[in-house]
Amino acid sequence: MPNFTQTEIAVEKVTMRFLKAQARTHSLKELLVQKLSGKHRAEYFTALDQVSFTVQTGEIIGLIGKNGSGKSTLLRIIAGALTPTSGKVRVDAKKVKLLTLGAGFDTELTGRENVYLNGALIGYSKPFLDRIYPDIVRFSELEGFMDEKIRNFSSGMVSRLSFAIATAQKAPEILILDEVLSVGDSHFRKKSEARIREMIHSGSTVLMVSHSNAAIRNNCTRVIWLEKGRIRQTGTPNEVCAAYEKAENAL
Amino acid sequence: MKESQSRQFFFLLRQLTGRELKRKYARSYLGVIWSVLHPLLSMVILSLIFSQLFRRTIDHYPIYYLTGYILWQAFTGATNASITTLADNKALLLKIHFPIELFVLARVYTAFVQLGYSLIAYGTMLALFRIPLQWSMLIAPLLILFLFGFALGISYLLSAAYLFFGDIKYLYSVALTLWMYCSAIFYPVDQLEGPIRWIIEENPLFLFISTMRNAVLSGLWPDPKTSLRMLLWGGGTYLLGSLLFRKNKSRMMQNL
Repeated sequence: MPNFTQTEIAVEKVTMRFLKAQARTHSLKELLVQKLSGKHRAEYFTALDQVSFTVQTGEIIGLIGKNGSGKSTLLRIIAGALTPTSGKVRVDAKKVKLLTLGAGFDTELTGRENVYLNGALIGYSKPFLDRIYPDIVRFSELEGFMDEKIRNFSSGMVSRLSFAIATAQKAPEILILDEVLSVGDSHFRKKSEARIREMIHSGSTVLMVSHSNAAIRNNCTRVIWLEKGRIRQTGTPNEVCAAYEKAENAL
Repeated sequence: MKESQSRQFFFLLRQLTGRELKRKYARSYLGVIWSVLHPLLSMVILSLIFSQLFRRTIDHYPIYYLTGYILWQAFTGATNASITTLADNKALLLKIHFPIELFVLARVYTAFVQLGYSLIAYGTMLALFRIPLQWSMLIAPLLILFLFGFALGISYLLSAAYLFFGDIKYLYSVALTLWMYCSAIFYPVDQLEGPIRWIIEENPLFLFISTMRNAVLSGLWPDPKTSLRMLLWGGGTYLLGSLLFRKNKSRMMQNL
Protein backbone atom coordinates (compact mmCIF):
# COMPACT_ATOMS: atom_id res chain seq x y z
CA MET A 1 0.00 0.00 0.00
CA PRO A 2 1.33 3.45 -0.85
CA ASN A 3 1.53 5.85 2.02
CA PHE A 4 -1.30 8.39 1.62
CA THR A 5 -0.18 11.36 3.56
CA GLN A 6 -0.73 14.51 1.61
CA THR A 7 -4.17 15.88 0.79
CA GLU A 8 -4.28 16.57 -2.93
CA ILE A 9 -7.94 17.51 -3.34
CA ALA A 10 -10.30 18.78 -0.68
CA VAL A 11 -13.95 19.09 -1.62
CA GLU A 12 -15.72 21.15 1.01
CA LYS A 13 -19.51 21.28 1.17
CA VAL A 14 -19.88 21.71 -2.55
CA THR A 15 -23.38 22.49 -3.73
CA MET A 16 -24.30 23.01 -7.35
CA ARG A 17 -27.69 24.24 -8.45
CA PHE A 18 -28.79 24.74 -12.01
CA LEU A 19 -31.71 26.85 -13.09
CA LYS A 20 -34.30 24.52 -14.55
CA ALA A 21 -34.67 24.91 -18.28
CA GLN A 22 -38.37 25.79 -18.22
CA ALA A 23 -37.84 28.37 -15.51
CA ARG A 24 -35.31 30.32 -17.55
CA THR A 25 -36.37 33.49 -19.20
CA HIS A 26 -35.16 33.05 -22.69
CA SER A 27 -37.31 35.67 -24.29
CA LEU A 28 -38.07 39.27 -23.65
CA LYS A 29 -41.79 38.59 -23.50
CA GLU A 30 -41.37 36.04 -20.75
CA LEU A 31 -39.15 38.42 -18.86
CA LEU A 32 -41.68 41.23 -19.12
CA VAL A 33 -44.53 38.97 -18.07
CA GLN A 34 -42.54 37.85 -15.07
CA LYS A 35 -41.47 41.29 -14.02
CA LEU A 36 -44.94 42.76 -14.45
CA SER A 37 -46.82 39.99 -12.74
CA GLY A 38 -44.23 39.95 -9.98
CA LYS A 39 -44.01 36.21 -10.27
CA HIS A 40 -40.52 35.00 -10.57
CA ARG A 41 -40.51 31.27 -10.75
CA ALA A 42 -37.06 30.30 -9.66
CA GLU A 43 -36.96 26.56 -9.94
CA TYR A 44 -33.62 25.02 -9.31
CA PHE A 45 -32.30 21.58 -9.83
CA THR A 46 -29.77 20.56 -7.22
CA ALA A 47 -27.07 18.50 -8.89
CA LEU A 48 -24.80 18.35 -5.86
CA ASP A 49 -25.84 18.87 -2.28
CA GLN A 50 -23.17 19.62 0.35
CA VAL A 51 -20.66 17.12 -0.92
CA SER A 52 -17.42 16.86 1.06
CA PHE A 53 -14.49 14.51 0.82
CA THR A 54 -10.71 14.58 0.50
CA VAL A 55 -8.35 12.77 -1.79
CA GLN A 56 -4.76 11.93 -0.85
CA THR A 57 -1.85 11.96 -3.23
CA GLY A 58 -1.69 8.76 -5.26
CA GLU A 59 -5.23 7.60 -4.58
CA ILE A 60 -7.35 6.32 -7.44
CA ILE A 61 -10.91 7.29 -6.70
CA GLY A 62 -13.86 5.81 -8.56
CA LEU A 63 -17.16 7.69 -8.67
CA ILE A 64 -20.22 5.57 -9.24
CA GLY A 65 -23.91 6.29 -9.32
CA LYS A 66 -26.85 6.43 -11.68
CA ASN A 67 -27.19 8.90 -14.53
CA GLY A 68 -27.95 12.32 -13.13
CA SER A 69 -26.47 11.58 -9.73
CA GLY A 70 -23.96 14.42 -10.15
CA LYS A 71 -20.79 12.54 -11.04
CA SER A 72 -19.88 14.53 -14.15
CA THR A 73 -20.83 17.82 -12.52
CA LEU A 74 -18.50 17.00 -9.64
CA LEU A 75 -15.64 16.18 -12.00
CA ARG A 76 -16.16 19.42 -13.91
CA ILE A 77 -16.14 21.44 -10.72
CA ILE A 78 -12.91 19.82 -9.58
CA ALA A 79 -11.42 20.43 -13.02
CA GLY A 80 -12.39 24.09 -12.73
CA ALA A 81 -14.74 24.14 -15.72
CA LEU A 82 -17.73 24.94 -13.47
CA THR A 83 -17.93 27.14 -10.41
CA PRO A 84 -20.00 25.67 -7.59
CA THR A 85 -23.02 27.57 -6.28
CA SER A 86 -21.57 27.27 -2.79
CA GLY A 87 -18.74 25.43 -1.14
CA LYS A 88 -15.16 25.13 -2.19
CA VAL A 89 -12.69 22.84 -3.85
CA ARG A 90 -9.08 23.09 -2.73
CA VAL A 91 -6.80 21.84 -5.42
CA ASP A 92 -3.85 23.10 -7.40
CA ALA A 93 -5.57 23.94 -10.67
CA LYS A 94 -2.34 23.68 -12.61
CA LYS A 95 -1.97 19.99 -11.81
CA VAL A 96 -5.48 18.97 -12.87
CA LYS A 97 -6.30 17.60 -16.31
CA LEU A 98 -9.75 16.46 -17.31
CA LEU A 99 -9.41 14.00 -20.14
CA THR A 100 -11.95 14.88 -22.80
CA LEU A 101 -12.46 13.21 -26.13
CA GLY A 102 -13.07 15.01 -29.39
CA ALA A 103 -13.59 18.52 -27.98
CA GLY A 104 -14.30 20.85 -30.88
CA PHE A 105 -13.99 18.20 -33.58
CA ASP A 106 -15.25 19.63 -36.83
CA THR A 107 -16.47 17.34 -39.59
CA GLU A 108 -15.52 19.82 -42.30
CA LEU A 109 -11.86 19.77 -41.31
CA THR A 110 -9.29 17.11 -42.13
CA GLY A 111 -7.93 14.65 -39.60
CA ARG A 112 -4.72 16.62 -39.34
CA GLU A 113 -6.50 19.96 -38.84
CA ASN A 114 -8.65 18.40 -36.15
CA VAL A 115 -5.59 17.15 -34.29
CA TYR A 116 -4.30 20.71 -34.03
CA LEU A 117 -7.68 22.26 -33.23
CA ASN A 118 -8.58 19.69 -30.61
CA GLY A 119 -5.04 19.69 -29.25
CA ALA A 120 -5.07 23.48 -28.86
CA LEU A 121 -8.41 23.29 -27.07
CA ILE A 122 -7.19 20.75 -24.53
CA GLY A 123 -4.08 22.80 -23.87
CA TYR A 124 -1.34 21.28 -26.03
CA SER A 125 1.18 23.73 -27.44
CA LYS A 126 2.12 23.87 -31.11
CA PRO A 127 5.65 22.42 -30.66
CA PHE A 128 4.26 19.62 -28.50
CA LEU A 129 1.67 18.76 -31.15
CA ASP A 130 4.29 18.80 -33.89
CA ARG A 131 6.29 16.34 -31.85
CA ILE A 132 3.51 13.90 -30.94
CA TYR A 133 1.66 14.08 -34.24
CA PRO A 134 3.28 10.94 -35.72
CA ASP A 135 2.47 8.98 -32.56
CA ILE A 136 -1.14 10.08 -32.70
CA VAL A 137 -1.46 8.92 -36.29
CA ARG A 138 0.24 5.61 -35.54
CA PHE A 139 -1.73 4.88 -32.41
CA SER A 140 -5.07 5.66 -34.05
CA GLU A 141 -4.04 3.57 -37.09
CA LEU A 142 -5.09 6.32 -39.48
CA GLU A 143 -2.00 6.45 -41.69
CA GLY A 144 -3.05 7.71 -45.11
CA PHE A 145 -6.36 9.18 -43.92
CA MET A 146 -5.17 12.28 -42.12
CA ASP A 147 -5.71 14.63 -45.06
CA GLU A 148 -9.31 13.46 -45.52
CA LYS A 149 -12.12 15.46 -43.99
CA ILE A 150 -13.40 13.59 -40.98
CA ARG A 151 -16.94 13.70 -42.27
CA ASN A 152 -15.73 10.81 -44.43
CA PHE A 153 -14.46 8.91 -41.40
CA SER A 154 -16.40 6.11 -39.74
CA SER A 155 -17.43 6.77 -36.16
CA GLY A 156 -14.83 4.25 -35.01
CA MET A 157 -12.10 6.16 -36.80
CA VAL A 158 -13.20 9.41 -35.18
CA SER A 159 -13.22 7.92 -31.72
CA ARG A 160 -9.81 6.32 -32.25
CA LEU A 161 -8.39 9.66 -33.32
CA SER A 162 -9.92 11.53 -30.40
CA PHE A 163 -8.67 8.92 -27.96
CA ALA A 164 -5.17 9.02 -29.38
CA ILE A 165 -5.01 12.82 -29.06
CA ALA A 166 -6.37 12.93 -25.52
CA THR A 167 -4.00 10.26 -24.23
CA ALA A 168 -0.87 11.41 -26.06
CA GLN A 169 0.21 13.47 -23.05
CA LYS A 170 2.19 12.29 -20.08
CA ALA A 171 -0.14 11.57 -17.21
CA PRO A 172 -0.76 14.81 -15.28
CA GLU A 173 -0.37 14.92 -11.51
CA ILE A 174 -4.12 14.83 -11.08
CA LEU A 175 -5.95 12.95 -13.79
CA ILE A 176 -9.70 13.17 -14.21
CA LEU A 177 -11.44 10.61 -16.37
CA ASP A 178 -15.06 10.93 -17.38
CA GLU A 179 -16.05 7.66 -19.01
CA VAL A 180 -13.26 7.27 -21.55
CA LEU A 181 -12.13 3.78 -20.83
CA SER A 182 -13.30 1.98 -23.88
CA VAL A 183 -13.59 3.10 -27.48
CA GLY A 184 -13.52 1.41 -30.83
CA ASP A 185 -13.63 -2.25 -31.78
CA SER A 186 -12.30 -5.01 -29.55
CA HIS A 187 -8.78 -4.81 -30.99
CA PHE A 188 -8.55 -1.08 -30.35
CA ARG A 189 -10.33 -1.39 -27.05
CA LYS A 190 -7.57 -3.61 -25.70
CA LYS A 191 -4.98 -1.10 -26.81
CA SER A 192 -6.86 1.84 -25.35
CA GLU A 193 -7.52 0.11 -22.06
CA ALA A 194 -3.85 -0.69 -21.74
CA ARG A 195 -2.94 2.90 -22.37
CA ILE A 196 -5.45 4.22 -19.85
CA ARG A 197 -4.26 1.71 -17.27
CA GLU A 198 -0.73 2.92 -17.84
CA MET A 199 -1.82 6.52 -17.24
CA ILE A 200 -3.81 5.63 -14.16
CA HIS A 201 -1.02 3.65 -12.57
CA SER A 202 1.83 6.02 -13.35
CA GLY A 203 1.66 7.57 -9.89
CA SER A 204 -0.95 10.24 -10.59
CA THR A 205 -3.84 10.97 -8.33
CA VAL A 206 -6.88 9.85 -10.28
CA LEU A 207 -10.59 10.56 -10.18
CA MET A 208 -12.64 8.48 -12.55
CA VAL A 209 -16.26 7.98 -13.51
CA SER A 210 -17.23 4.76 -15.15
CA HIS A 211 -20.36 2.75 -15.68
CA SER A 212 -18.27 -0.37 -15.84
CA ASN A 213 -18.00 -1.84 -12.36
CA ALA A 214 -15.22 -4.09 -13.56
CA ALA A 215 -13.10 -1.08 -14.53
CA ILE A 216 -13.74 0.46 -11.12
CA ARG A 217 -12.91 -2.71 -9.19
CA ASN A 218 -9.76 -3.35 -11.21
CA ASN A 219 -8.28 0.12 -10.96
CA CYS A 220 -9.50 2.05 -7.95
CA THR A 221 -8.22 2.21 -4.42
CA ARG A 222 -11.40 3.80 -3.08
CA VAL A 223 -14.92 4.30 -4.37
CA ILE A 224 -17.47 7.03 -3.75
CA TRP A 225 -21.11 6.30 -4.49
CA LEU A 226 -23.20 9.34 -5.34
CA GLU A 227 -26.96 9.31 -5.22
CA LYS A 228 -29.11 12.33 -6.08
CA GLY A 229 -26.21 14.68 -5.48
CA ARG A 230 -25.20 13.27 -2.10
CA ILE A 231 -22.59 10.79 -1.01
CA ARG A 232 -24.35 7.55 -0.19
CA GLN A 233 -21.31 5.44 0.65
CA THR A 234 -17.52 5.54 0.57
CA GLY A 235 -15.19 2.61 0.95
CA THR A 236 -13.15 -0.06 -0.74
CA PRO A 237 -14.08 -0.90 -4.32
CA ASN A 238 -15.37 -4.31 -3.39
CA GLU A 239 -17.73 -3.27 -0.64
CA VAL A 240 -19.12 -0.17 -2.35
CA CYS A 241 -19.52 -1.83 -5.74
CA ALA A 242 -21.25 -4.78 -4.13
CA ALA A 243 -23.65 -2.52 -2.25
CA TYR A 244 -24.31 -0.53 -5.40
CA GLU A 245 -24.98 -3.63 -7.47
CA LYS A 246 -27.31 -4.93 -4.80
CA ALA A 247 -29.27 -1.68 -4.78
CA GLU A 248 -29.44 -1.68 -8.56
CA ASN A 249 -30.68 -5.23 -8.72
CA ALA A 250 -33.28 -4.61 -6.05
CA LEU A 251 -35.10 -2.26 -8.40
CA MET B 1 4.52 30.66 -17.46
CA LYS B 2 2.97 33.96 -18.44
CA GLU B 3 4.60 33.90 -21.82
CA SER B 4 3.70 30.30 -22.56
CA GLN B 5 0.11 31.08 -21.56
CA SER B 6 -0.19 33.93 -24.00
CA ARG B 7 1.46 31.83 -26.69
CA GLN B 8 -1.13 29.13 -26.08
CA PHE B 9 -3.87 31.78 -26.21
CA PHE B 10 -2.77 32.93 -29.67
CA PHE B 11 -2.24 29.38 -30.90
CA LEU B 12 -5.80 28.54 -29.90
CA LEU B 13 -7.12 31.78 -31.38
CA ARG B 14 -5.47 30.91 -34.70
CA GLN B 15 -6.90 27.40 -34.61
CA LEU B 16 -10.43 28.61 -33.89
CA THR B 17 -10.23 31.29 -36.57
CA GLY B 18 -8.81 28.78 -39.03
CA ARG B 19 -11.75 26.51 -38.33
CA GLU B 20 -14.26 29.26 -39.09
CA LEU B 21 -12.52 30.28 -42.29
CA LYS B 22 -12.00 26.75 -43.59
CA ARG B 23 -15.55 25.77 -42.80
CA LYS B 24 -16.96 28.69 -44.70
CA TYR B 25 -15.87 27.49 -48.12
CA ALA B 26 -15.39 23.85 -47.10
CA ARG B 27 -17.61 22.33 -49.76
CA SER B 28 -16.39 24.43 -52.66
CA TYR B 29 -13.82 23.44 -55.23
CA LEU B 30 -11.85 26.68 -55.10
CA GLY B 31 -11.87 26.70 -51.31
CA VAL B 32 -10.04 29.55 -49.70
CA ILE B 33 -9.62 31.44 -53.01
CA TRP B 34 -13.29 32.36 -52.59
CA SER B 35 -12.29 34.55 -49.66
CA VAL B 36 -10.94 37.07 -52.18
CA LEU B 37 -12.98 36.08 -55.20
CA HIS B 38 -16.33 36.40 -53.49
CA PRO B 39 -15.92 40.01 -52.35
CA LEU B 40 -14.27 40.89 -55.67
CA LEU B 41 -17.17 39.56 -57.73
CA SER B 42 -19.76 41.23 -55.50
CA MET B 43 -17.85 44.48 -55.78
CA VAL B 44 -17.74 44.27 -59.56
CA ILE B 45 -21.49 43.62 -59.71
CA LEU B 46 -22.25 46.39 -57.23
CA SER B 47 -20.13 48.90 -59.09
CA LEU B 48 -21.81 47.99 -62.37
CA ILE B 49 -25.19 48.57 -60.78
CA PHE B 50 -24.24 51.68 -58.90
CA SER B 51 -22.05 53.35 -61.48
CA GLN B 52 -25.15 55.00 -62.91
CA LEU B 53 -26.43 56.38 -59.62
CA PHE B 54 -25.59 59.68 -57.94
CA ARG B 55 -23.19 60.54 -60.70
CA ARG B 56 -23.61 64.23 -60.30
CA THR B 57 -23.35 64.44 -56.52
CA ILE B 58 -20.57 61.98 -55.73
CA ASP B 59 -17.31 61.39 -57.53
CA HIS B 60 -16.43 57.73 -57.94
CA TYR B 61 -19.70 56.63 -56.46
CA PRO B 62 -18.88 52.87 -56.61
CA ILE B 63 -15.82 53.44 -54.45
CA TYR B 64 -17.81 55.68 -52.14
CA TYR B 65 -20.27 52.84 -51.77
CA LEU B 66 -17.71 50.01 -51.47
CA THR B 67 -15.74 51.80 -48.75
CA GLY B 68 -18.81 51.91 -46.58
CA TYR B 69 -19.86 48.43 -47.63
CA ILE B 70 -16.70 46.58 -46.54
CA LEU B 71 -16.51 48.29 -43.16
CA TRP B 72 -20.20 47.66 -42.61
CA GLN B 73 -19.78 44.02 -43.61
CA ALA B 74 -16.90 43.55 -41.21
CA PHE B 75 -18.91 45.00 -38.36
CA THR B 76 -22.12 43.08 -39.03
CA GLY B 77 -20.22 39.90 -39.86
CA ALA B 78 -18.40 40.09 -36.55
CA THR B 79 -21.39 40.91 -34.38
CA ASN B 80 -23.84 38.53 -36.07
CA ALA B 81 -21.43 35.62 -35.79
CA SER B 82 -20.70 36.43 -32.17
CA ILE B 83 -24.24 36.56 -30.85
CA THR B 84 -24.67 32.79 -30.76
CA THR B 85 -21.05 31.77 -30.29
CA LEU B 86 -21.34 30.88 -26.61
CA ALA B 87 -24.52 28.90 -27.17
CA ASP B 88 -22.99 27.18 -30.22
CA ASN B 89 -19.98 26.06 -28.22
CA LYS B 90 -21.89 25.08 -25.10
CA ALA B 91 -20.62 21.49 -24.99
CA LEU B 92 -17.04 22.68 -25.21
CA LEU B 93 -17.39 25.43 -22.64
CA LEU B 94 -18.76 23.02 -20.06
CA LYS B 95 -15.89 20.62 -20.55
CA ILE B 96 -12.88 22.80 -20.97
CA HIS B 97 -11.31 25.26 -18.67
CA PHE B 98 -10.19 28.43 -20.41
CA PRO B 99 -11.32 32.02 -20.90
CA ILE B 100 -14.66 31.94 -22.70
CA GLU B 101 -14.01 35.42 -24.17
CA LEU B 102 -11.81 33.59 -26.60
CA PHE B 103 -14.83 32.30 -28.51
CA VAL B 104 -16.19 35.80 -29.04
CA LEU B 105 -12.75 37.08 -29.95
CA ALA B 106 -12.28 34.27 -32.47
CA ARG B 107 -15.49 35.11 -34.34
CA VAL B 108 -14.74 38.84 -34.42
CA TYR B 109 -11.19 38.14 -35.49
CA THR B 110 -12.49 35.85 -38.26
CA ALA B 111 -14.67 38.65 -39.61
CA PHE B 112 -11.69 40.98 -39.64
CA VAL B 113 -9.49 38.44 -41.38
CA GLN B 114 -12.21 38.35 -44.00
CA LEU B 115 -12.08 42.13 -44.11
CA GLY B 116 -8.40 41.68 -44.91
CA TYR B 117 -9.31 39.51 -47.89
CA SER B 118 -11.95 42.04 -48.94
CA LEU B 119 -9.30 44.74 -48.81
CA ILE B 120 -7.37 42.87 -51.49
CA ALA B 121 -10.48 42.98 -53.66
CA TYR B 122 -11.03 46.61 -52.67
CA GLY B 123 -7.48 47.49 -53.71
CA THR B 124 -8.15 45.91 -57.08
CA MET B 125 -11.25 48.05 -57.46
CA LEU B 126 -9.31 51.19 -56.52
CA ALA B 127 -6.85 50.35 -59.29
CA LEU B 128 -9.64 49.72 -61.77
CA PHE B 129 -11.20 53.06 -61.00
CA ARG B 130 -7.79 54.71 -61.19
CA ILE B 131 -7.98 56.18 -57.70
CA PRO B 132 -4.57 57.70 -57.00
CA LEU B 133 -2.67 56.37 -54.01
CA GLN B 134 -2.71 58.76 -51.08
CA TRP B 135 -0.55 58.97 -47.97
CA SER B 136 -3.73 59.35 -45.97
CA MET B 137 -4.67 55.77 -46.85
CA LEU B 138 -2.14 54.77 -44.21
CA ILE B 139 -4.77 55.64 -41.61
CA ALA B 140 -6.63 52.44 -42.57
CA PRO B 141 -4.86 50.02 -40.18
CA LEU B 142 -5.44 52.29 -37.20
CA LEU B 143 -9.03 52.92 -38.20
CA ILE B 144 -9.63 49.19 -38.57
CA LEU B 145 -8.11 48.60 -35.15
CA PHE B 146 -10.58 51.04 -33.60
CA LEU B 147 -13.44 49.46 -35.52
CA PHE B 148 -12.24 46.09 -34.23
CA GLY B 149 -12.43 47.36 -30.65
CA PHE B 150 -15.91 48.71 -31.28
CA ALA B 151 -17.14 45.46 -32.88
CA LEU B 152 -15.55 43.36 -30.13
CA GLY B 153 -17.17 45.39 -27.37
CA ILE B 154 -20.61 45.11 -28.98
CA SER B 155 -20.04 41.40 -29.57
CA TYR B 156 -19.24 40.77 -25.91
CA LEU B 157 -22.47 42.47 -24.91
CA LEU B 158 -24.59 40.66 -27.49
CA SER B 159 -23.19 37.19 -26.88
CA ALA B 160 -23.72 37.55 -23.14
CA ALA B 161 -27.22 38.98 -23.55
CA TYR B 162 -28.19 36.14 -25.89
CA LEU B 163 -27.79 33.64 -23.06
CA PHE B 164 -30.46 35.47 -21.07
CA PHE B 165 -32.89 36.28 -23.89
CA GLY B 166 -32.71 34.53 -27.20
CA ASP B 167 -34.90 37.21 -28.78
CA ILE B 168 -31.90 39.52 -28.88
CA LYS B 169 -30.84 37.84 -32.09
CA TYR B 170 -33.96 38.98 -33.94
CA LEU B 171 -34.14 42.36 -32.30
CA TYR B 172 -30.55 42.97 -33.28
CA SER B 173 -31.14 42.05 -36.90
CA VAL B 174 -34.00 44.56 -37.04
CA ALA B 175 -31.84 47.15 -35.34
CA LEU B 176 -29.12 46.51 -37.89
CA THR B 177 -31.46 47.37 -40.74
CA LEU B 178 -32.20 50.70 -39.13
CA TRP B 179 -28.54 51.21 -38.30
CA MET B 180 -27.55 50.56 -41.90
CA TYR B 181 -29.86 53.30 -43.17
CA CYS B 182 -28.36 55.63 -40.58
CA SER B 183 -24.83 54.92 -41.73
CA ALA B 184 -25.10 56.54 -45.16
CA ILE B 185 -23.56 53.60 -46.92
CA PHE B 186 -25.13 54.18 -50.31
CA TYR B 187 -26.31 57.77 -50.33
CA PRO B 188 -24.68 61.16 -49.92
CA VAL B 189 -25.13 62.89 -46.58
CA ASP B 190 -24.77 66.46 -47.74
CA GLN B 191 -28.38 66.98 -48.75
CA LEU B 192 -29.81 65.73 -45.49
CA GLU B 193 -30.75 68.15 -42.77
CA GLY B 194 -32.21 68.26 -39.29
CA PRO B 195 -32.30 65.42 -36.79
CA ILE B 196 -31.51 62.73 -39.36
CA ARG B 197 -28.30 64.46 -40.30
CA TRP B 198 -27.45 64.76 -36.62
CA ILE B 199 -28.10 61.04 -36.00
CA ILE B 200 -25.91 60.05 -38.91
CA GLU B 201 -23.08 62.26 -37.80
CA GLU B 202 -23.20 60.95 -34.24
CA ASN B 203 -23.33 57.34 -35.45
CA PRO B 204 -19.97 55.70 -34.70
CA LEU B 205 -20.11 53.49 -37.78
CA PHE B 206 -20.61 56.51 -39.99
CA LEU B 207 -17.63 58.06 -38.25
CA PHE B 208 -15.41 55.16 -39.31
CA ILE B 209 -16.88 55.02 -42.80
CA SER B 210 -16.63 58.73 -43.54
CA THR B 211 -13.07 58.91 -42.20
CA MET B 212 -12.09 56.09 -44.49
CA ARG B 213 -13.82 57.75 -47.46
CA ASN B 214 -12.07 61.02 -46.83
CA ALA B 215 -8.73 59.25 -46.61
CA VAL B 216 -9.22 57.23 -49.78
CA LEU B 217 -11.15 59.58 -52.03
CA SER B 218 -9.97 63.01 -50.92
CA GLY B 219 -6.56 62.36 -49.42
CA LEU B 220 -7.66 63.87 -46.11
CA TRP B 221 -6.25 62.82 -42.74
CA PRO B 222 -8.76 62.82 -39.88
CA ASP B 223 -8.63 65.96 -37.74
CA PRO B 224 -7.75 65.59 -34.03
CA LYS B 225 -11.38 65.65 -32.95
CA THR B 226 -12.34 62.86 -35.35
CA SER B 227 -9.35 60.80 -34.29
CA LEU B 228 -10.22 61.22 -30.64
CA ARG B 229 -13.82 60.22 -31.28
CA MET B 230 -12.70 57.06 -33.08
CA LEU B 231 -10.36 56.20 -30.22
CA LEU B 232 -13.09 56.76 -27.65
CA TRP B 233 -15.72 54.78 -29.50
CA GLY B 234 -13.34 51.91 -30.19
CA GLY B 235 -11.57 51.78 -26.84
CA GLY B 236 -14.59 52.73 -24.75
CA THR B 237 -16.92 50.14 -26.26
CA TYR B 238 -14.26 47.47 -25.93
CA LEU B 239 -13.67 48.29 -22.26
CA LEU B 240 -17.35 48.45 -21.43
CA GLY B 241 -18.09 45.18 -23.24
CA SER B 242 -15.25 43.20 -21.74
CA LEU B 243 -15.88 44.57 -18.26
CA LEU B 244 -19.56 43.60 -18.26
CA PHE B 245 -18.70 40.25 -19.83
CA ARG B 246 -16.16 39.41 -17.14
CA LYS B 247 -18.42 40.58 -14.34
CA ASN B 248 -21.30 38.36 -15.38
CA LYS B 249 -19.32 35.30 -16.35
CA SER B 250 -20.55 32.97 -13.65
CA ARG B 251 -24.19 33.92 -14.23
CA MET B 252 -23.63 33.32 -17.94
CA MET B 253 -22.19 29.87 -17.30
CA GLN B 254 -25.31 28.94 -15.34
CA ASN B 255 -27.49 30.04 -18.22
CA LEU B 256 -25.63 28.22 -20.93
